[in-house]
Amino acid sequence: MQVRLQIRRSDPATGETRLQLYQLDHVRPAATLLDCLEEIKEEQDGTLAFRRSCREGICGSCAVRIDGRTALACRTSVAELLAGGRIPLITPIGNLPLIRDLVVEMEPMWQKMRSVQPFLSPTSDSPGEGRETVVSPALLEAVHKEALCINCGACISECDALTVSPEFLGPHALSKAWRLVGDPREPATGRRLQELSREHGIWECTRCYLCNERCPKGVDPRDAIAKLGAEAFAAGVTRDRGARHARWFVTSARTTGWLRESELVVKTLGVAVSVTKIPLALRLFRRGKAPLPLPRHKAKGLEPARALQRIVAGQDRRGARGIVQGERVLARIELVRVPEPPEPEAEDF
Amino acid sequence: MRRVAYYKGCLAGLSARELDSSTRALAPKLGLELVELENVTCCGAGDIQTADPDYALHLNARILSEAEQAGLDTILTICNVCTLNLRQAALQLGDAELRARVNENLSRAGARTYSGGVEVTHLLWLIARGEGLSRLKEIAVKKLDGLRVAPFYGCQLLRPSKLMGFEDPDRPTSLETVIEACGGEPVDYPAKTLCCGFPILLAREKTSLAELARPLEQALAAGAEAMVTSCPLCHLSLDAWQRNAERALGRKLGLPVFHLSQLIALAAGVEPAQLQLSRHVVPLGSVLAKLSSPLVEE
Ligand code: SF4
Ligand code: SF4
Repeated sequence: MQVRLQIRRSDPATGETRLQLYQLDHVRPAATLLDCLEEIKEEQDGTLAFRRSCREGICGSCAVRIDGRTALACRTSVAELLAGGRIPLITPIGNLPLIRDLVVEMEPMWQKMRSVQPFLSPTSDSPGEGRETVVSPALLEAVHKEALCINCGACISECDALTVSPEFLGPHALSKAWRLVGDPREPATGRRLQELSREHGIWECTRCYLCNERCPKGVDPRDAIAKLGAEAFAAGVTRDRGARHARWFVTSARTTGWLRESELVVKTLGVAVSVTKIPLALRLFRRGKAPLPLPRHKAKGLEPARALQRIVAGQDRRGARGIVQGERVLARIELVRVPEPPEPEAEDF
Repeated sequence: MRRVAYYKGCLAGLSARELDSSTRALAPKLGLELVELENVTCCGAGDIQTADPDYALHLNARILSEAEQAGLDTILTICNVCTLNLRQAALQLGDAELRARVNENLSRAGARTYSGGVEVTHLLWLIARGEGLSRLKEIAVKKLDGLRVAPFYGCQLLRPSKLMGFEDPDRPTSLETVIEACGGEPVDYPAKTLCCGFPILLAREKTSLAELARPLEQALAAGAEAMVTSCPLCHLSLDAWQRNAERALGRKLGLPVFHLSQLIALAAGVEPAQLQLSRHVVPLGSVLAKLSSPLVEE
């Protein structure tokens, strides 16, 4: 099989970037993209720089962008890439500084990972010397997917919030954070949730789902972020604008069935900040686009919607458990910690 | 006439009422009888899925059950976000044990139960292929005169693809197909599958507006005269907040944005008054003038 690849080459010394075309004439049909990169490096051009180690999707070194989409080179069949006679374009992953060719600087990713303290916090009720804390597999279900992460950076490569806001913690660090918050041995979940609710944390995720789409291990980082949000609610950590926004949807569903759209701005931003949105409101009002809060746009048959919220609040699927049950599509998993319902922070309506 | 359960979601009953009215005006032409679901609520919008995910699942189960009880096997949505949330719930409720638990709660709450099997689809999916597309081609008699239209997909009709699965999430073609069928010329630009910023528009305005500015700028640079989107939430960002994006960018944009139903209805010769185009914040005057037919309202 003949394979042609276009690879973006860049030289940090000169700052020059160009596309280079490589051709391999005798490639096995079952070859991966990584096999091809290695052959190019060994047989044709020793200056081509890329990372690789395990060759089997475990080390997380070889993520690149292939025609724009991030994937592991070692898990990409090159025959499939060539379908339709295309010449695939191979470029480095995004949202990290470039070092050379297909190699990027991973340090910003590690920094964010360190900032979420990716280890269990010390606790006073640790088992004594020579003993261990036994955790049943069922208790680890809530963090099973997140534990599969191989730190490849595919999720941050295209994360839309990160692209426009480089300080955003991002899908990799946040799914690590859930790995800890969701661990039954972790004592400091409240403090962690407070920290994760800061400006560039949980609530800056824009739900583009590019991380879920790209992750080669099925971690589904966006879902991990939703679990953090849900657990923040269960723990009463709901002061952030993002949390207030989310809470208003719950209040709306319970009280009128549909979103109480006209009040959303005030409920999210508070009265003081909302004043700055008056020009926008007037613009919408002039177009008939600002629905008035009264009379309320109410759904029919509202009582069950109200009752449902009460009913589920009294069951053991609060917080992240409500997500875990669906994601495993298994209602029977034994779920972690059932905290007491928090005191509400503010009157909802 | 194909009977489908019509779930219009929150916004089409509120700030995006023009989407509801144009969809209703369009449906008979497409051979669709819309049976509007009553006794339903918000799908959760991704917000209830975060704040109280178990509640969100139950709300969606109830929407699915209302369709089932009305004897309909398909729910038609006109919103990316509703589509994702309903499909996600429908998939999860395929699990008998989870469904049994949810149904028990639905009964206790006085709602009807759900036995599974309702399909959730978006208007775009119905008309971008097969029979729906043939029908669209038949009804699009008032061609859009080569109007250069930028398709905006946004996120949640494409991703996560394992829940959506209609087309390649990175190289979608459905909106382009529809634009062409309507006699328009699709304009290509990179940000058409990226985020409009809507979910964090209020919570993280700066980040959100930076996202919003990209498709608008790129579409204009690629020569678009208008944009079309399949999602009323994207529409709210792209249209109503466009002025804010302009302020953040420090330059004028002025790109008119159609709802999917409006664009098709225009091509199908639906009475313009039913499309309520005057409700848009960015005026559509330039586009309507170009279409050289007496379409302008008022
Ligand atoms: S869903 Fe959130 S974390 Fe994931 S890529 Fe999008 S913005 Fe980033
Ligand atoms: S979450 Fe997935 S994509 Fe992100 S670093 Fe881990 S394995 Fe890679």
